[in-house]
Amino acid sequence: MSSHAASGTVDHHHDASTATGIPNKKLLMWAFLASDCMFFGTLISTHLIYRLHPPAGNPEPRVVFDVPLTSFSTFILLMSSLMMALAVNAIQKGNLRSMRFSLLTTAFFGAIFLGCQVWEFWHFVHEKHMTITNSILGTTFFTLTGTHGLHVLIGVIWLISMYFYSFTGRVGEKQAIDVESMGLYWHFVDIVWIVIFTAVYLLEYL
Amino acid sequence: MSSPSATATPDAHGHADDNKFWAYVQIAMLLAVITGVEIVAIGLPFNKVLLITALIVLSIVKFLFVIFYFMHLRWDKVFCTILFFIGLILAGGTMWALLTIFAFEDSRPLTAVTADVPAEHSTR
Repeated sequence: MSSHAASGTVDHHHDASTATGIPNKKLLMWAFLASDCMFFGTLISTHLIYRLHPPAGNPEPRVVFDVPLTSFSTFILLMSSLMMALAVNAIQKGNLRSMRFSLLTTAFFGAIFLGCQVWEFWHFVHEKHMTITNSILGTTFFTLTGTHGLHVLIGVIWLISMYFYSFTGRVGEKQAIDVESMGLYWHFVDIVWIVIFTAVYLLEYL
Repeated sequence: MSSPSATATPDAHGHADDNKFWAYVQIAMLLAVITGVEIVAIGLPFNKVLLITALIVLSIVKFLFVIFYFMHLRWDKVFCTILFFIGLILAGGTMWALLTIFAFEDSRPLTAVTADVPAEHSTR
């Protein structure tokens, strides 16, 4: 008999009732994230191809981009990932109160990231005059970062929904997989941004 | 939908339920420091190839820390890692293929080719 069974605790990394030994929700989320990798891979490729072969009249990214703001956004997203990991850790121990706090903090950081992105987009359109239709750079940049922003928005809505759902009494240690699946999604949003931050922003300054 | 069993089979990852709080905090601090190094690096007067390599390596390190620790791949069944890396390899392969194809002169985006035409004529 396992130590988990003996102690009455839940094994969060193994599910004996499935053929793979992996909880179905977790398997579904990993399969979705694998497919999302390809989705973002094509968007990043498209941006890079047009950056390597810029058409005439393309705005100069160094003039348009604001690295301090983007660096701040990156830091915020990293901290939101930490809070998400702590939320999963808390619910796996049955600490509902700590999980709620961590979920709210994660959602708050996600909202800050979105606020920075909205400000950045507004700044690019109104001050730098780069829109999604007036240049290839604008098209690829807004499509890529906008799609990522949409993922963040979905994540924030999911986080807030889970926060309120936790008050129904249907979220506990045995349902930790629901929070963990959400955490996988949120961390994925973070790793996509890690790639975008380097490929789209930092490499422009070399 | 199944839920994680409370009577699990023998577990080779007993340490997984240990308190990971401080480990997560330390990893997050490390990721923040790496991000800081990346930002500083773009202003350094080093060789461009060296800096690009360094930025890519640092991003990969951050990426791996997040997926293996924050996303629990280190403690989960190896099938999760395989599944995710299938998507990752397909995405990386697609990126490599697209960037390689468009590196050839005849495959350059039409807008870029068109933009180059007046410049070529003016130099003749």
